[in-house]
Amino acid sequence: MASKPSLWPLTTLLHRRTVSTLSTATTYTPPPRIHFATRPNPTLPRRRIKVYPPPPGPLTTDPISALTTAQIKALDPSGSRAELFSRQNPQAIRPGDIVYVRRKNGEPFSGVLLNIRRRGIDTSILLRDHLTKLGVEMWLKVYSPIIDSINLVQRKEKMARRAKLYYMRKPAHDFGPVRGIVSDWVRKSYAAKKGSADKASQS
Amino acid sequence: MIQLKSMLNCIDNSGAALVECVQVLGKKRPATVGDKIVVVIQKQRSLGHDLSAAAQAAVKVRRGDISHAVVVRTRKGYGRADGSYIRFDDNACVLINKTGDPLGTRLSGVVGRELKKKKWSKILSLAPAYV
Repeated sequence: MASKPSLWPLTTLLHRRTVSTLSTATTYTPPPRIHFATRPNPTLPRRRIKVYPPPPGPLTTDPISALTTAQIKALDPSGSRAELFSRQNPQAIRPGDIVYVRRKNGEPFSGVLLNIRRRGIDTSILLRDHLTKLGVEMWLKVYSPIIDSINLVQRKEKMARRAKLYYMRKPAHDFGPVRGIVSDWVRKSYAAKKGSADKASQS
Repeated sequence: MIQLKSMLNCIDNSGAALVECVQVLGKKRPATVGDKIVVVIQKQRSLGHDLSAAAQAAVKVRRGDISHAVVVRTRKGYGRADGSYIRFDDNACVLINKTGDPLGTRLSGVVGRELKKKKWSKILSLAPAYV
């Protein structure tokens, strides 16, 4: 029997006192506290049951949004393209503004922004212009790697009271060709770039 | 989406102003930019009363004539491989002869760039602008 602990629980003290005073003939042996299961054939070697580590859980519970974030990060690492159309940004491009889009291969396209379709990586903008006196509309994917830059040429004076400006297809509200405004802006921005480059080279 | 009974503007100087599609050639679905169609001339461009005989002779088609044509603009619009999508404000075509040469000598108005892919480079070269 192990040595007596310094502090017996009270119940055992009570038990031991009553038992010792009452019984004299038999000595009380408490039942064994732990019972080991006997092996059916002790001569056979012990089985080693393999315990495997748990499989790795899913990386994310929402794979679609994780994929969207990863794709946007790959195509727009600086976040500037997202910033241009962000709802939180007060300097963002809004429907009604005139936008000039430069493409890596092909002619640039400009027009009045009628619609911003927000669909994650497939976010696209609808631009309406008049070429040779005929209305032409183009949907362009904002995060496409083919697009070199999206530039705001002219803001609408008053905020458009709609998000989708399809009323501008009607002759009463049609803006018309934006070629003049855009060519002025291109000229000015080129002159400004040239001016700053000259200043930088001079200084 | 040009199909039977679709009305198109004719944008060349062949003499036709408005044409009606009666058949799409080469495919069993509506025509888009760069497809060949058969048309009937519905309206002629006004010749003017005091037009010389030479100018009148230059007009190649009259009202009621049947001709082949190539669609160059559609109001329905179509997508491109880079994810962009383009749409015009009207339907337009250019009249051609059986060998594929345009009947007119000049075009007015913008056309779709798909003409190049579908081997209509002659028409594309005549066009003042393409998108």
